[in-house]
Amino acid sequence: MPETTAGGVIAISWLQLALATGFVVFVGVLSMRLALGIEKDLAIATVRTYIQLIALGLVLRWVFGIDSPWIVLAILALMMAAAAQTIVKRAPDAPRGILGSSMLTMLLTGFTVTFAVTGLIVQVDPWYRAQYVIPIAGMVLGNSMNGVALALERTFADMDTHAEEILALVALGASPWEASGDIVRVAIRAGLIPTINSMAAAGLVFIPGMMTGQVLAGADPLHAAYYQIVVMLMVSAATALGSVMAVLLSFRRRFSADGVYLEKGYRT
Amino acid sequence: MLLLAEDLRFTPPGCPPVLDGVHLVLYPHELVDITGPSGSGKTTLLRALARLLPGVTGTLLFAGAPASEVVSGEWRRHVALLPQRATMRSGSVRENLSLPWNLRVRGTETRPTDALLREALDGVGLADVELDRDAAKLSVGQAARISLLRVMLTAPDILLLDEPDANLDDASAEQVRAMVERFVDGGGSVVRVRHLRSDDLAARRYRLADGHLSEVL
Repeated sequence: MPETTAGGVIAISWLQLALATGFVVFVGVLSMRLALGIEKDLAIATVRTYIQLIALGLVLRWVFGIDSPWIVLAILALMMAAAAQTIVKRAPDAPRGILGSSMLTMLLTGFTVTFAVTGLIVQVDPWYRAQYVIPIAGMVLGNSMNGVALALERTFADMDTHAEEILALVALGASPWEASGDIVRVAIRAGLIPTINSMAAAGLVFIPGMMTGQVLAGADPLHAAYYQIVVMLMVSAATALGSVMAVLLSFRRRFSADGVYLEKGYRT
Repeated sequence: MLLLAEDLRFTPPGCPPVLDGVHLVLYPHELVDITGPSGSGKTTLLRALARLLPGVTGTLLFAGAPASEVVSGEWRRHVALLPQRATMRSGSVRENLSLPWNLRVRGTETRPTDALLREALDGVGLADVELDRDAAKLSVGQAARISLLRVMLTAPDILLLDEPDANLDDASAEQVRAMVERFVDGGGSVVRVRHLRSDDLAARRYRLADGHLSEVL
């Protein structure tokens, strides 16, 4: 008979964790046999999953116990910095110096959307209650980070692909926005498509993570669904706002001061 | 003189100099050709003259005014570059020809009427191209002429043409040549980059090699 926690959730033991790891080991062996070359990445990712999530569990346990708004805000700031750093790494075609605009984007969209959910919709009391604020911020930041990184990468990759067209337009007198606005719009749309697809498929193709977690923890599925709707809508809003903001704050960096597109080979 | 370039220098990051002290003079109502092997920097020189090359140093004067005293957008209204590859935006031929008047820099100017666009197309051997035609369905030769026509309609003083007849069939190349000739006859000046050969339109011919421009006598 498996152990249960105070909330009625079936607890996972180290033995069960090892069993789950066994499946990953099987995939690693398969990778070696088929020469897929992913076994090293898989091993590193597995170890990181263990370390990061256990560390997160310990930190959250500590934070929930302390119940301090400063600690919650400090953790949010760290999460936002990590998200901005990840965006920079995932958009290798973006110009140098986008860390600042990514940070600002994550800060504004992350804080606004997280506290809109916890304060206005869920009405958490007190406003900094870590049990709500941190997981919701994690979902908001994680999703908007993906959308922003995708939109930025697409913007700058597409601008390079259309460099000749941009040059021709600038030669005709176009401003940076006039020369690249169409490309930027397409890129922002591309950044939003996974979120919109995810909303459309929720409940049909998959059960979203938050709802799964709540159902596993013993919540009423209908109440869990309400929570999930709120989170999905707010995550979509965060992704849209974040993508628009990050791209608009950074696309101009690919142009010189007098509006010339800096193609590959002309960049310092 | 209309355009003066003195001691133009440009070194792309991590590469040897492409322009290494280039001097060029262009008088009103004349066409000069610049030839040279591929990769010699001909396109780079045109971009420098149009002020579309960040990092270039040297002196540029248009009608006696130093580049530093003319905002770049205004400069490009007078000194217009036509890149080698014709660029058509999605939309009709009319939309493509009217494109410059959708830009803020020409927001207050009167956009050309359909009658004027029609007449312009007829004048360059494109009588069979309707204004409503999807620009994506133009042939390479048609797109090249429409690109050239578009920039000519903005009435610049100087045209910088980057191999305007490259990759064109003989008939299209001849039409392009005739358009350029009319532009010069109408008082315009042209700097034209050619890959190898030159023709009788040029008042002077230069050769660009190893970053230096020398007149071909």
